[in-house]
Amino acid sequence: MVSRRTAKMVAIGVLVAGALVAESKKEFHYTVGPKAGVSVMNPYGSISVRPSTNNMVVVNAVLHSDKVEVDNSQTGNRVDIQSHLLAGADAESGRVDYEVLVPSDASVTLHSSTGSLHAEKLHGDVSLEGPGATVDVRDVSDAHVHVKTMNGPVTLNNIQNGHVEVDSLSGDVTLTGVNGPLVQVVSTSGRINYIGDFGNSGEYRLTSHSGDIEATIPEWTSADVVAHSVRGEVHDDIPLQPKTHTWFPVDKGRAFAGTMGRVAVSSTVVLRTFSGKIHLRKRSEKQ
Amino acid sequence: MNCVELQESLAEVEIDDGGSVDQKAHLRNCPHCSALVDELSRIVAAASELQAADEPSPRVWNSIAIQLRQEGLIRPQPRRPVVPSFTARWGQTRWLVPAAAALLLLVGIYVRQESLPNQLAKHAAAVEIANPSGLDDEDLMQEVAANAPAMQPEYADNLRRVNESIEDAQSAVNDDPNDPEARRALMDAYQQKSMLFEMAMDRP
Repeated sequence: MVSRRTAKMVAIGVLVAGALVAESKKEFHYTVGPKAGVSVMNPYGSISVRPSTNNMVVVNAVLHSDKVEVDNSQTGNRVDIQSHLLAGADAESGRVDYEVLVPSDASVTLHSSTGSLHAEKLHGDVSLEGPGATVDVRDVSDAHVHVKTMNGPVTLNNIQNGHVEVDSLSGDVTLTGVNGPLVQVVSTSGRINYIGDFGNSGEYRLTSHSGDIEATIPEWTSADVVAHSVRGEVHDDIPLQPKTHTWFPVDKGRAFAGTMGRVAVSSTVVLRTFSGKIHLRKRSEKQ
Repeated sequence: MNCVELQESLAEVEIDDGGSVDQKAHLRNCPHCSALVDELSRIVAAASELQAADEPSPRVWNSIAIQLRQEGLIRPQPRRPVVPSFTARWGQTRWLVPAAAALLLLVGIYVRQESLPNQLAKHAAAVEIANPSGLDDEDLMQEVAANAPAMQPEYADNLRRVNESIEDAQSAVNDDPNDPEARRALMDAYQQKSMLFEMAMDRP
């Protein structure tokens, strides 16, 4: 006669085995040429993209159940990966987690509704979109970075010489060391936090309707700064050379406009909110 | 024809005569679109009435004549006929009078029309607040329910936020239609709502 303890152990073993059987891994390899295009569409689950050491695209996918399958194809220099939900799939059973290696000059498009989207050390265009996705992009240079989220937080770190556009409805956006000819962030209620030096003689446009905007910059920044809030407050910790002529009335507490650093190499910085606070902070030596 | 299709068709086809068969059928059954079309028709009617009110008064013509005389563009003739004619009165420069009058009339109409959008904006703004963007929020939530039911609460929350931002900005534009920052905030708010719709329609 089988003891109760033994029966429990067998039952637990069956359950674990069942789960492991349901979860499966798949791997795909593609050879591509320069400036390949790679697209991953994944309703549920995370996508992480890193550079490969050769001209291969390697896709590792972990499927959490048999209610989802991975459709994959290559057309010329373009690779398309799509998670295909089968009947009865939901956010849990339809989940796939991807780890993708691509040549560093590849253009990458990632889409996930709920998972995290991560890209790093790339030189090709990066486009990340997902209503609830958490977005993390770092160490990207000489490329366009486009991010579109609804409420997922967005973190950009060390994006150099980039054309950066971020649209977020309610997620917070944090940019650290992000410089380029254009850096634009638009949010409805998310906070925008910029830590950097507005370098590259670029154009920086940070706009939020009700979220606060905080920019922390060193004293030696060269920038032409305009900040305006229709109904919120603005604060400026850094002395600016006031502009003599602006297209809007510079009401104290609601707007400021001025120049800092060397005009010849200055960037254009426009900070706008409707009701959020704007704060231009001086970076301390420790930061 | 659904609400989105009807609103798109308004830009292409005028429905002064009631519209196409599809449009009529939709308007019969959709009080929301019917109210929108009524409001648009009222705005168009109001615009034409404002233009009609721009005809300058006879005093304008007198002012033109006085100004031209002062500038020496009009010189008195040595002999005046018993019944002076227009050409005799104005001499070689007679063509300047109607040209100047036409120019002043155009300037007046232009200035008036520059203020027309502000009046229309106020009227339209009063209409818009009831339906912040003209985009049907119910269509959005139905799309989300079909494509991403697990995310309905997030979409509903963000829809509320973006509608509030549109109402905020609209209110600021109503207070001061000439405030460029308020108008920009309104445009940004509409673009954010458009992005929300795109996300809901986009199926990964």
